[in-house]
Amino acid sequence: MAELVLAGVALIVIGALLPLRRPLLAAGLVVQATGIAAVGVGGAGIAIGGETAGAAFSPAISPAFGADRLTGTMLALIAGVALPAALACIAYLRHVARPGAVASLFGCFVLALAGVVTARDASALLACWELMTLLPAVASLVADASPPVRRAMFEYLAITHIGGAGVWAAILVLAERGAIGGPPLGPGGATAGFAAAAAIVGFGTKAGLGPLHAWLPRAHPVAPGPLSAVMSGAMVAVALYGLVRVLFQWMLAPAWAGPALMTVGAVTAVTGIVYAAMQPELKLLLAHSTIENMGVAAAALGASLWLHGEGAGSPAALAFGAAMLHLLTHAAAKGGLFIAAGAVQGAAGTLDLGRLGGLSGRMPLTAGVVGVAGVSLAALPPTAGFVSEWAVLQGAFGAARIDDPVAGVVAGGTVLLLAVAAGLAALTVAKMLGLVLLGPPRTAAAAAAVEAPGPMRAAGALALAALAGLVLAAGWILPGLASMVPGGIGDDGPDLLDVPATGGLAPAWTLAVLAAAAFLLTRVRGRSAARAPIWLCGQPELARAPYTGAGFTKSFRIAVDGLLRSERDVEVERRGGLVHRVTSTGRVPDLVDRFMYDPARRLALAAAAHARRLQSGSLRAYIAWLGAMVVVCLALLRAGWLS
Amino acid sequence: MTGTAAVLGALSVLALAAGPGLAGLVQTAKARLQGRRGADPLQPYRDLRRLWRRSVVDPEGTGAAYRTAPAVIAAVTAAAVLMVPLGADAPRWPFLGADALLVVGLLATARMAGAVSAWDTSAAFGMMGAARDLAYAVSGEALLLGTLLVAALPAGTTDLRGLWAAAAQAETWRTPAHWAGLLAVALVVLVETGRQPIDNPDTHLELTMIHEGPLLEYAGRDLAMLTWVAGARHWIVMGLAAGVFLPHPSGAAAGAVVTVAWLPVLAAATALAESSQAKMRLGRAPRLLASGAVLTLLGAVAWAFGAGL
Repeated sequence: MAELVLAGVALIVIGALLPLRRPLLAAGLVVQATGIAAVGVGGAGIAIGGETAGAAFSPAISPAFGADRLTGTMLALIAGVALPAALACIAYLRHVARPGAVASLFGCFVLALAGVVTARDASALLACWELMTLLPAVASLVADASPPVRRAMFEYLAITHIGGAGVWAAILVLAERGAIGGPPLGPGGATAGFAAAAAIVGFGTKAGLGPLHAWLPRAHPVAPGPLSAVMSGAMVAVALYGLVRVLFQWMLAPAWAGPALMTVGAVTAVTGIVYAAMQPELKLLLAHSTIENMGVAAAALGASLWLHGEGAGSPAALAFGAAMLHLLTHAAAKGGLFIAAGAVQGAAGTLDLGRLGGLSGRMPLTAGVVGVAGVSLAALPPTAGFVSEWAVLQGAFGAARIDDPVAGVVAGGTVLLLAVAAGLAALTVAKMLGLVLLGPPRTAAAAAAVEAPGPMRAAGALALAALAGLVLAAGWILPGLASMVPGGIGDDGPDLLDVPATGGLAPAWTLAVLAAAAFLLTRVRGRSAARAPIWLCGQPELARAPYTGAGFTKSFRIAVDGLLRSERDVEVERRGGLVHRVTSTGRVPDLVDRFMYDPARRLALAAAAHARRLQSGSLRAYIAWLGAMVVVCLALLRAGWLS
Repeated sequence: MTGTAAVLGALSVLALAAGPGLAGLVQTAKARLQGRRGADPLQPYRDLRRLWRRSVVDPEGTGAAYRTAPAVIAAVTAAAVLMVPLGADAPRWPFLGADALLVVGLLATARMAGAVSAWDTSAAFGMMGAARDLAYAVSGEALLLGTLLVAALPAGTTDLRGLWAAAAQAETWRTPAHWAGLLAVALVVLVETGRQPIDNPDTHLELTMIHEGPLLEYAGRDLAMLTWVAGARHWIVMGLAAGVFLPHPSGAAAGAVVTVAWLPVLAAATALAESSQAKMRLGRAPRLLASGAVLTLLGAVAWAFGAGL
C-alpha cells in the first residue's frame, strides 16, 4: 500500500509539471487525478490494514516521511476531496488567467497537504505546513490578482501567520523535549501548558476555530472553485489532524485542555452557522458553514481529550471516532458543494443567492450534489452527516457524565450549543436548497442555465459517490476510526461502541427502508393529479413577491436581533413631492470583526504611527539611538543582567 | 423476540393509527373547556377518510420536492412513532434501533422536507410557515436535546428503552435533573404538537400560522398524509414525555398500560394549556424555548453536583 502512495505522489508530481505547457493542461490534470486516486486508495489500505509504512516519528531534525493508520485515513480524506476537484479543474480553469500555473500549483498544494500528514519529524512537518498555507494564496493570486483578492489573501496570510506562530512554538518545544516519537511530554509544568495552548491557538487558527477564524470566510470564497473545495474540505481537517497529534500523542494534555477545546469548538460552531445563515452568497455561506463543522469536530476532540484524562477510555475513543468521521463526512459534503458552486457559477454567471433559483430542472446532476451534500451538512438521517453528528453528541453526553460540576456546565452547554448549531444548519441548508435549486428562476441568466461540461459532471458524480459510500460505510468505519485514538481504546471499548444506532443503526438500511416507505406512499398518492396554478390562498398577485433569503431567515433574526445587531437603511427618493423610489438595504455585520479585529487594527496602526516618529530621517538622531543602546547594553552587562 | 417484545411491538404498530385520535381528543377537550360542544375525538378519522377520496394537485412549476414531501414526511414520522418506548422490553426495531437522538433526527428530517416543499411552490404562505418552523426549531432542538440529556444522565444511555426503565426507578425521581426535564418536556409537547402559545392549529391567519402554512398548497391524499402526520406527532411527543419523564411501574404489562394511560391525561393538559393563554408574539416564543433549554442545563449541572460517573 505504501508503494501505491509513492506511485501516486510521483504521478501528482508529473501531473503538476505537465500543465506548464499549455496544450497539456487537461492531460496533466488527468495524471494528477490518477495520482490522487492512487494516494487515496493506498491511504485507505493503510488505514484498514493497520501496517505502518516508511519512517516512524522521530525527534531528530531531519526530514522523514511515513504513514500509520491515522495518516492513511487523512490521505484518503485528502484524496476524496482532491480527486473530484482535480477533474473539476479541467473545466473550471478555462475561465481563469494563466490556467497552467494554477493547475500546477493545485498539484503542489495537494502534495503539501499529503506532506503534512505523512511528515514524521518537526522539520518536514513545519516545511509542509508553511507550503500548505502559502500555495493556495499563490494559486488564488495567479488566477485573479484583482484588489479584493489581494486584500483577502493578505488577511488570510496575516491572520494564519500570527495565529500559526503557535504551531511553530508547539512543535519546536515538543521536538526539543524529544516528545515527537519519544515519551510524551508530561501534563504538569509550564512547558506542557504552553505547548498545549500554543497548539490549540496555532492549529485552531488554521482550522477556523474562533475567534481567529476571520480569514476563512475571506479566503475560501475568492479562491478558484476546485481550490476552495480542497481548502474547505481538506486543509481545515489537516489542521485538526495536527492538533490530534500534539494533544493526544506527543503530550499528556493538561486537564484544562479538553474542556477548553470543547468550549471553543461549541461556541465556534454556533457563531459560524449563525453567520452562514445570514450570507447572501453561496460560497460565503459554505465557508461560514465550514467554520461550524470544524467547531463541531473540535468539540468532539475536546470531549475525547477530557474523557481520556478522566480515564474513561472507551467513551473517549467514541468521541475521537466521532470527530474523525465528522471530518470525513464534512470533507465529502463540502468538497462536493464547492465544486457544485463552481458549476453554478459557470452556468448562471453568479453566486448571488438572490439571482439563482430553479436550477434543479436544468442542472439535474449538480442539483443532486447540492441536495445530497446539503442534507448531509444539515445532519439529517439517514445521511453520513447524521451518523457523525450522532456520534459527536454521544461524546458530549459522555463528557456530561464526568463526575465534576464543570462537566455539567461545559458538556451540558456544549450539547445545547450543538443542538442550536444543528437547528441553524437546517435553516441554512433549506435556504440554500430553496434559493439555488427550487422555485422560479429569479433572473434570465438563471433561467438559461445549462448543465456543467463533462469533467465538472464527472467531478460531481465522484462527489456523490463519496457521499453515498460514506452513508453505506458509516456504521462500519466509526468503530474503526474510534480504534485509531492514540493511546488505545481501553478494555471495554468494543462493547461501548455497540451503543444502539452505530452498528444497529446501519444508515444504509435505514435509508433503504425510508426510501421504500416513501416510494410506497408516493404510489398511494394516486395517478390522477390535477394540474393547477399555485393556489396562494387565492391571491395570485403574491407570486410577484417571492421570498428572499433575508426574508426566510428573518423569523430567526428578529428573535436574536439584540445579539446580532443587524443594520438596515431605507433611502426614500422624492421628486416634486412624490416618492419616486424607495431603496432598502440590510446587512448583518460580523461582530467579531467589529469588536475584535477593527479595534486591533486601529491599535496596530496607532502604534505604527508612534513608531514611525523614530524614523526622523536624521543621521544624528540614529547615531544617538545607537549610542544610547550601546550604553544601556553595557550598563546591563555591568549589572549582571546579560551574560 | 420474546413474547413481551412482540406484544409491545404490536402495540407500537397500532399506535400508527392512534395518533389522529389523540389530536382529536385535544380538540374535543379544548372545545369543552371553551364552552363549545365541538366534534367528537373521532373527527380526524372522518377528515382523513374524506381527504383520501379526493384527488391530489400538481401545482404548475413544482417538481419532485413537492410531490415526494408528503410521502417522505409520513415515512419518517411513522418510523418515529414505532420508536416511542412503551416498555423496557420493547423491540429494537431492525433498521431503526431505539435511539432517542434518531427520533430527534427524524423529526428534523420531516421539518426539512416540509421547508423544501414550501420552497418548491415558493408560495408566500407556505414559506412563511416553513421559515417560522425552522426558526423555532433552532431553540426547539436545543430544548429537545437538553431534555434528552437530563433523561440520559441517570440512565447512562440514549436508548429509549433504557430511558423508560430509568424513569421507572424511584432514585431517578430524587434527582433535580429529572424534575427540570419534566418541566422542559411540557414545553416540548407544546412546540412539537404545534399548540398555543407557540402555534395554533385552528387558524389559517397568516400572522399566526406555522405548521399549517406549507399544508395550504396540498390536497387529497397528500393532505391526508400530512394531516395524519400532525396527529402522529401528538403520539410521538406525548409518548416520549410519558415514557421518559412521567412515573410508571417498571413491570412490562403495568408499565405499558400506565404509559399509554398518561396520553389522554397529557392531551387534556394540552387543551387546558391552550385554552388558558394567548398565542405568544413570534419573536418571543424562541426565547421561551431557549429558557426551557437553560432549565435543562441547570438540571445537568445539578446532576453533576449530585451523582457521579
